[in-house]
Amino acid sequence: MITPTLLGRLHHDVTHRGVTAWIVSALLIGFYILLYFTEELVPVAQAMGLDGKWTLYGLLYTVAMVGGGAWVIFKYRHNRYQVIRTLVVVGVQVSFGFSIPLLLKFLQQPEFYFSYFWPLKIEYFYPDQILKFPTPFIIWTVLFGVLLSPLLGVFLGKRWYCSWVCGCGGLANTFGEPWRHLSDKSSTSWRIEKVTIHTVLIIALLSTALAVLSAVLPQSAEVQRLSSSFRTYYGLVVGMVLSGVVGTGLYPIGGTRVWCRFFCPMAALQGLVQKVGRYRIKVKEDMCISCGLCSTYCEMGIDVRSYAQANQSFTRASCVGCGLCAEVCPRGVLRLENVRAASARLPILQ
Amino acid sequence: MHLVIVGNGVAGITCALEVRARDPSCRITVISGETDHFFSRTALMYAFMDRLQRPELEPYERRVYDEKRIDRVRDWVVDLDAGARCLTLQSGKSMTYDKLVLALGARPRTGGWDGLAAVKDGLVNFVSMQDLDACERLAPLAKRAVVVGGGLIGIELVECLVHFRIPVTFLVREPWYWPVALGLEESELVAAQLLHHGVDVRFGDGLATIQTDAAGRVNGVTTTANHALPCELLGICIGVQPAIDRLRSFKSQPALAKGVLVNELLETSLPEVWACGDCAEIQFTGGRMLNETIWYSAKRQGRLVAENVLGKSARYNPPIFFNSSKFFEMEFTTVGDVMNQPDGTPSIYRRHPTRNVSQRIVHNGKRVLGFNMLGSRWNHEVLQQWIVDARSPEFVTAHLKDAQFDVEFGRFPLSAMQETSIPLKGCWGPT
Repeated sequence: MITPTLLGRLHHDVTHRGVTAWIVSALLIGFYILLYFTEELVPVAQAMGLDGKWTLYGLLYTVAMVGGGAWVIFKYRHNRYQVIRTLVVVGVQVSFGFSIPLLLKFLQQPEFYFSYFWPLKIEYFYPDQILKFPTPFIIWTVLFGVLLSPLLGVFLGKRWYCSWVCGCGGLANTFGEPWRHLSDKSSTSWRIEKVTIHTVLIIALLSTALAVLSAVLPQSAEVQRLSSSFRTYYGLVVGMVLSGVVGTGLYPIGGTRVWCRFFCPMAALQGLVQKVGRYRIKVKEDMCISCGLCSTYCEMGIDVRSYAQANQSFTRASCVGCGLCAEVCPRGVLRLENVRAASARLPILQ
Repeated sequence: MHLVIVGNGVAGITCALEVRARDPSCRITVISGETDHFFSRTALMYAFMDRLQRPELEPYERRVYDEKRIDRVRDWVVDLDAGARCLTLQSGKSMTYDKLVLALGARPRTGGWDGLAAVKDGLVNFVSMQDLDACERLAPLAKRAVVVGGGLIGIELVECLVHFRIPVTFLVREPWYWPVALGLEESELVAAQLLHHGVDVRFGDGLATIQTDAAGRVNGVTTTANHALPCELLGICIGVQPAIDRLRSFKSQPALAKGVLVNELLETSLPEVWACGDCAEIQFTGGRMLNETIWYSAKRQGRLVAENVLGKSARYNPPIFFNSSKFFEMEFTTVGDVMNQPDGTPSIYRRHPTRNVSQRIVHNGKRVLGFNMLGSRWNHEVLQQWIVDARSPEFVTAHLKDAQFDVEFGRFPLSAMQETSIPLKGCWGPT
């Protein structure tokens, strides 16, 4: 590593866990703590003419995505997959993730996010919440939650959501671009990830089941109590700590997809669908030179090189189909395809 | 059975892993004096440009060596006694083997330039970890650089220097860039790319003398066209040759040609000794000689030696040639025999009117012989198949889109290509 200029040194420091990276991470974590656990941001929001801290957060989030998105589109302007994908994911955030919910509130309608589905937006399957919505919203949420999401996952892979629609993924792929290479690539991380993400999925399913049960059995105090405490802890641990504080606050340390990779129940469910679906990364025979750019720039910590150098086209449950491995490959070895799934064992380790 | 592999490059390590996959019990030792762990030499440029960190150059997790029980020894081999089946190492230790694989790799080619003997610093070849260290040390101090050699490593080093905004002169002895692979038309596109990035590229000019200061640091060169070029970093990238010099002083020497001479089974002239990768020169039945210095050939040869070490008699059979590369932003795929044809061999040359994209289809009037594809992505598997199937140039041009490998939504529009017929002309005349 050489750093001939001051700017170069700073860039390396902030993108490779230097002092500045830790400072940025501390600031991000501090912001999330203020946001989730205090009311300090309320006056700031009001001073800006916004109705509350969550609108302020939505605004900041959207601005970060638009700014980062513009940079990413410029950086990868020669790659139409990246350009179109970034335009779509930023567009979804600006409209469904920010403007439309605001507009709905203005129209005295419930604040509804058309771009978030169960189990990521877990309360959209809690009967007492969902039944408050107007009928078209209920149809939308049920249709996607149980039918369209899995179906799209089968034909396109989980990328249709994780890299094209989801705001969490959208922030990672725009604002988070300078830190995407920091994800841990070891097989140990892969083992940990399989345990944690499926644990969260099981808890999400349990929480949903309890919510449904408590709606069906309103007379059982035991069920009510259990469901309510499950819901509270799930919201606190998964919603606030894991997706906010850890998920975004640790961008400069752990890479950009810590939440998506280790914890997101939607990613877990879509990953299982992806394994039996058509999506795969095609590897061209014997063209890989083992340079390692694909693995390094995989934000999900997939050791893409281990498949490429073994001439093995593959489907990994965690792959969000961002397409950066194919972009950075200097030999054009990789391509994202919707054909059929192949196996995904790490070729050397197993 | 104790298998000793000399060299931890891609041929040696591929061989070790393949032997382990086929035989869980034998003992495997890999000896290397260069590094503790196998690294990807082809990625040196990305490490230099800070796109990769050093550990990321290693293609396998380090735990693989323990899990696969591949013992690594950091040492140089200084002698071989094939009768006693014993190696002597630089540290003074000796090591016995039952089977020995030489995967010695290649070393940079050099020349007899005036002033070379006085050089102590400032010269890199850009093929080893030590070169990367030197580049990282020299680049921040270099006000100007000169790179000699019109091939792949040369242009990679040029790209790195451009990345660090170091003014660079690129000396290419041949009349155009990389004439063993590119026709004049493709090379003009590459040259345009070099000019676009501000590279001072000079065709038909080479290195004559090297000037150094009192401490032996390079401070300039004179070219064969008698131009004086001041520089603090000199890259000499004029190709590689089998690294067999050490073998010449060994007690037991395998037969040597340009490289370690092996037959189609990759056996050397010594009993129980094989060779593979860049150091091996294969003599086929019928006399054809082949020394391949390509990443995939090293892997294929390493795998084949693994089979033969374990008792098979597999013959090496190189595939229809293919390769790929990247010249700054321009991707390049080549398949089959393109420039290795007599002058006048017909070729269909397709060029985009405004973008730096071209395709060349070399044929003999009846069937296609080779492809040079520049500026977009291609699937060499399909192109290879067309050569195997002896497809006609008409069939190939009509089905060309089936071999495209661009990203989704990014398929390059072939309809805009302008097609001409250009007979091939090499810069050295017929081969």
